[in-house]
Amino acid sequence: MHETDIHDLSDDADYAAASKQGSSSVTRSDSSKRSSSSEPEDAQIVYLKDNVSIHPTQYATERIGGRLKLIKQGSSLVMTWIPYKGQSSNPRLSEKDKNLYTIRAVPFSDIQSIRRHIPTIGWQYVIVVLSSGLAFPPLYFYSGGVREFLATIKQHVVIVRSSEDANVFLVNNFQDPLQRTLSSLELPRSLANGTPSSSFRGSPSPSDNNNQETQLDTVNTSGSGQQNNNRQRQKTQDPARDLSIQVLEKFSLVTRFARETTSQLFRDSLVDGQGQSQSQSQGQGQNERRRNNWASKDHKPLEMAPIDAPIAPKDVPVPSDPLEFDKLSLVWGKPRQHPLGVEEWSNFLDYEGRIMDPDALKKRIFYGGVEHNLRKEVWAFLLGYYSYDSTYAEREYVVSVKTSEYMTIKNQWQSISPEQAKRFTKFRERKGLIEKDVVRTDRSLSFYEGDDNPNVRLLHDILLTYSFYNFDLGYCQGMSDLLSPILFIMKDESEAFWCFVSLMERLGPNFNRDQNGMHSQLFALSKLVELLDSPLHNYFKQNDCLNYFFCFRWILIQFKREFEYDKTLRLWEVLWTHYLSEHLHLYVCIAILKRQRGKIMGEEMDFDTLLKFINELSGQIELDPILRDAEALCVCAGENGAGLIPPGTPPALPIPEASMYQQQDDEVL
Amino acid sequence: MSYAYLFKYIIIGDTGVGKSCLLLQFTDKRFQPVHDLTIGVEFGARMITIDNKPIKLQIWDTAGQESFRSITRSYYRGAAGALLVYDITRRETFNHLASWLEDARQHANANMTIMLIGNKCDLAHRRAVSTEEGEQFAKEHGLIFMEASAKTAQNVEEAFINTAGTIYKKIQDGVFDVSNEASQSYGIKVGYGGIPGPSGGRDGSTSQGGGCCN
Ligand SMILES: Nc1nc2c(ncn2[C@@H]2O[C@H](COP(=O)(O)OP(=O)(O)OP(=O)(O)O)[C@@H](O)[C@H]2O)c(=O)[nH]1
Ligand SMILES: [Mg+2]
Repeated sequence: MHETDIHDLSDDADYAAASKQGSSSVTRSDSSKRSSSSEPEDAQIVYLKDNVSIHPTQYATERIGGRLKLIKQGSSLVMTWIPYKGQSSNPRLSEKDKNLYTIRAVPFSDIQSIRRHIPTIGWQYVIVVLSSGLAFPPLYFYSGGVREFLATIKQHVVIVRSSEDANVFLVNNFQDPLQRTLSSLELPRSLANGTPSSSFRGSPSPSDNNNQETQLDTVNTSGSGQQNNNRQRQKTQDPARDLSIQVLEKFSLVTRFARETTSQLFRDSLVDGQGQSQSQSQGQGQNERRRNNWASKDHKPLEMAPIDAPIAPKDVPVPSDPLEFDKLSLVWGKPRQHPLGVEEWSNFLDYEGRIMDPDALKKRIFYGGVEHNLRKEVWAFLLGYYSYDSTYAEREYVVSVKTSEYMTIKNQWQSISPEQAKRFTKFRERKGLIEKDVVRTDRSLSFYEGDDNPNVRLLHDILLTYSFYNFDLGYCQGMSDLLSPILFIMKDESEAFWCFVSLMERLGPNFNRDQNGMHSQLFALSKLVELLDSPLHNYFKQNDCLNYFFCFRWILIQFKREFEYDKTLRLWEVLWTHYLSEHLHLYVCIAILKRQRGKIMGEEMDFDTLLKFINELSGQIELDPILRDAEALCVCAGENGAGLIPPGTPPALPIPEASMYQQQDDEVL
Repeated sequence: MSYAYLFKYIIIGDTGVGKSCLLLQFTDKRFQPVHDLTIGVEFGARMITIDNKPIKLQIWDTAGQESFRSITRSYYRGAAGALLVYDITRRETFNHLASWLEDARQHANANMTIMLIGNKCDLAHRRAVSTEEGEQFAKEHGLIFMEASAKTAQNVEEAFINTAGTIYKKIQDGVFDVSNEASQSYGIKVGYGGIPGPSGGRDGSTSQGGGCCN
């Protein structure tokens, strides 16, 4: 289905090679070879596989098909992956975008390991990890062939199966002296390139940076040949380097160029990628996440290339010159859209009022939010008070049933006589606490302003009713902050109550007495920062800040105190879509921290200073850029990120049974 | 703003006793009954003068609710002074003092100066804890004691400033070694107007040698 005209790129050796489909011999196909040897050498294709694809985003329409090859050149083996030209389900994928992912002749001496994924459902794929620690995006073998791929490699290069993970194959594993000898015989290049190993064990050392550059150039077709090749030659290799698998699966190769392209992809996918394929790829995301959970158990990425670093290779890695980073904008998620309006909303509904495509709706809200006057209706869906497939009539019925149910629960405490209350300490305490707190909740808002404000009374009644509805959890400070916007939007007491109940299903663990819900989120946050910004993580570690208590309020009440009221409403509806991740709020934390990282590290803040600094960010944070950053970070962390968040971390909900296998339709196999 | 010393204070005590109101009264000289309840911690600062020396108070107003305690405890570290507050109209806030004190003793440095405050003394008609009981508790536990009102501002200045005075005296008496960096763990920072010391370190651009510390 795929071979098309590639001759306009015939000045490029790899493209030329790729065009000779099926031929077993190519001349001078390895560009790095050109510089290392003035003699052109014969090259031989030892493996060729069509229909090997890269999925730059989760959208099915943006997958890039291509051809994978192993080429034997003298004593070394190189790998190439060239995207098919012209052929694409998505015309918006420009050639430039595709070229970005092109793997142009990577010698196996630069490869550290290959991880094989053979899911029970879905395509097999491999992740090729380079010695620099970076990885290419997963290569999906639509027509199978992973085993053959590995077998072929094995014929030419020493690869050993990792003792820790049977799906990881280590290339250039020099730990065993015998292998070292063998390798030195078989891979003279790698030893010739080798430099003393001790120089770059610390993560952000200059040589690491070099590696990154080199590697980026390898895939960056816009890079100019000779210069890159020289760098490639200088590339250091550390045989003793930890063989930890460092995979930043999807966007590991984000250069400034890549970043632009990526946002281009994002922008483009605004227009398409809706509807069916959308929900399918979501299903797949779910499944991949589950898959990754086990994988990450024994192979946790120890250190990750900071995604900041590749922005501009010239920039010094973080801790030494943090101020540099303030100048660099992280914005590269999709531009925010205008909020969902009434007319567009009506298009989501069928004639009986069912929401036809909940996933498309969630996506729409994720990127733009909801117009204020629509919130009352839409929030009820987002929070789960209404089900998406309910009709107008059904919802009317639900409202009436739920209203009387609410009244029943409310009556439980309303009917407690003063006499009974005397012997009901827990009730008195809760009531007292709630009374004290509702008068200290958003009183500067006109909705809650003034003495004897009936809405303050409603806050009180709903919270006390909730403490009977969920007597085990009861009432905790912070709940009034969560209820306030909901009541403000829903206006109706019973509806606000039930929406609050739904929200607490997700956020209830935030208020557990033992704080375990909070701690698990703070823990996940620290893991994600480790993944996405290891220098910052190390900074926190060195400064005794790893408990992330400075993010406590952010998470406990979902940034309610950090943004202006209307921005909070926007943020919440975005979070509630659970569109990219149910833990987007953690990525929001990271997005905010990342924007302040220069300051934090530059001013060498200790725990106290940091806490104060973070507190004072309140009201200073711009929502839209943060959302875009968070989106990008979430995509960037991908399955690795999801794998770092322990199951059950709030606001995790039980996985809907159906969604697990939804992607099947989409499968080729 | 230069100061001779900077003291870190924390305000602790049950929820609703008026910690945030006391802070606001001290820093802004106003009573704002409808501000938000505290989640985590909030900060305030004010300059005072003791012995003709400018002293900056950096005040941490903590959340009182029981379930936040595990978080609140991490704020004690390096506080020079603490205001332990109860509400004279609510007996239980007085009864909980011992557990607050225990927290403070466990998580703060031993030389921390603690001021016990019976707040809301403007509500004398609803008093549930007598002045004598407050005095007695303070005496037993070696605390300074005052009744105050965040609403009327009665004794608010005094509470903060007397605490600072006590800390200052401890410095004069050599209880704290402020000549070196260790002073920070007592919640005291020496500023420009004080004993010359390593203050700042902001532009101490250490040239990066690289990965010596893996
Ligand atoms: N009459 C009177 N009321 C006060 C006084 N101080 C505080 N209050 C009231 O007590 C309530 C609680 O005060 P806050 O300062 O918010 O209490 P807090 O100790 O900070 O409580 P948390 O932040 O929950 O730990 C407020 O609604 C004030 O109106 C006072 O001196 N006199
Ligand atoms: Mg307070």
